[in-house]
Amino acid sequence: MNAAELKTQFTGYVFDEIELDIEPESLVGFATACGETQSRFTDPTDPDFQGVPNYLTRIHGSRAMPADFPVEMHRCFDAGKSVQFHAPVRPGDKIQGRSEIADIFEKSGRSGSMLFIVHRMNFYNQAGVHLATVDWRLVQRELD
Amino acid sequence: MILDLHSHSVASDDGRAKVENYCQWIQRKQVGIDGFVLTEHRQFDDANDYRALEDQFGLLILKASEVETEYGHVLVFGVNDDLRAAFDFAKIDNPLATVLEAAERAGAVAVPCHPGRPKVGMCAHWETRGPVDGVRIIETLNGGSREGENEQAEAMAERYGWNTIGGSDSHIVSHIGRCATRFDDEIRDIDGLVTALQGDRFEAVVPETAS
Repeated sequence: MNAAELKTQFTGYVFDEIELDIEPESLVGFATACGETQSRFTDPTDPDFQGVPNYLTRIHGSRAMPADFPVEMHRCFDAGKSVQFHAPVRPGDKIQGRSEIADIFEKSGRSGSMLFIVHRMNFYNQAGVHLATVDWRLVQRELD
Repeated sequence: MILDLHSHSVASDDGRAKVENYCQWIQRKQVGIDGFVLTEHRQFDDANDYRALEDQFGLLILKASEVETEYGHVLVFGVNDDLRAAFDFAKIDNPLATVLEAAERAGAVAVPCHPGRPKVGMCAHWETRGPVDGVRIIETLNGGSREGENEQAEAMAERYGWNTIGGSDSHIVSHIGRCATRFDDEIRDIDGLVTALQGDRFEAVVPETAS
């Protein structure tokens, strides 16, 4: 199956959903690990306490790819994450994360051809507010 | 007039530079170019209009594409509907002959870029797969080349009598204008660039930067 066929078959639908509760300790721990020092990210007593904008990049779904996805994950390597921040994560939020394949494309570089898979998670809070879009890129060298 | 004919913005999957930031860098560092051409990978960027930035910074900002063939990557200037109908810009194995012919027919100009680069440059494929008719210009100064790659391209251009262009192949702000092309005539828009490239009054150059 080539990249265009994979894209047609596997993009455009949600294949996994997770829910998680946001604990203040988790927000503080992640912010501290990022080197953040502002009290609104590190002090739960701050009146504007919230997660750092990239907090949701640490969340994975219950599965990385759709059940019948033909690419072998052990042949892929991580090509980075990007996050589009929409609204802050607050302690006590009940977060829903929905996974989909946003894009599949090929490119050629110095080392040969590569298949890129863009795994997207959209996160919402209990009020349905869209909090973030996290794109995780995976790359597999030399498409079979 | 000096233009960087090969650059990528965030519209490319691996581009990390916003067009506005390129403009700010050129102005602040006094990079010796009068404008640049955005050659996004495997696509033509219909979505963005940079005319306001052109006015604000006094730069010419044009749009083209970098497509992929079995002989490596190719810049296409003067992308239009005829050209887009002729082959699939998203594919990585378009026949070079098809891209060259389609560009000629559509009134565009196709230029194999970074020819000395392994896998995605034309030189090595030329040796193993054989020559292709229709090459008239190649990029001999590429800002992303490793040692020996531009020299290999230059030797090939000299051997076949091809014209040469330069481009930075920048994906990050500070690389814009590392290599460029000097035109004898003034260019105001993409049609002017195509007309100039259809002539032979241009050459690959390394622009000067004040700071």
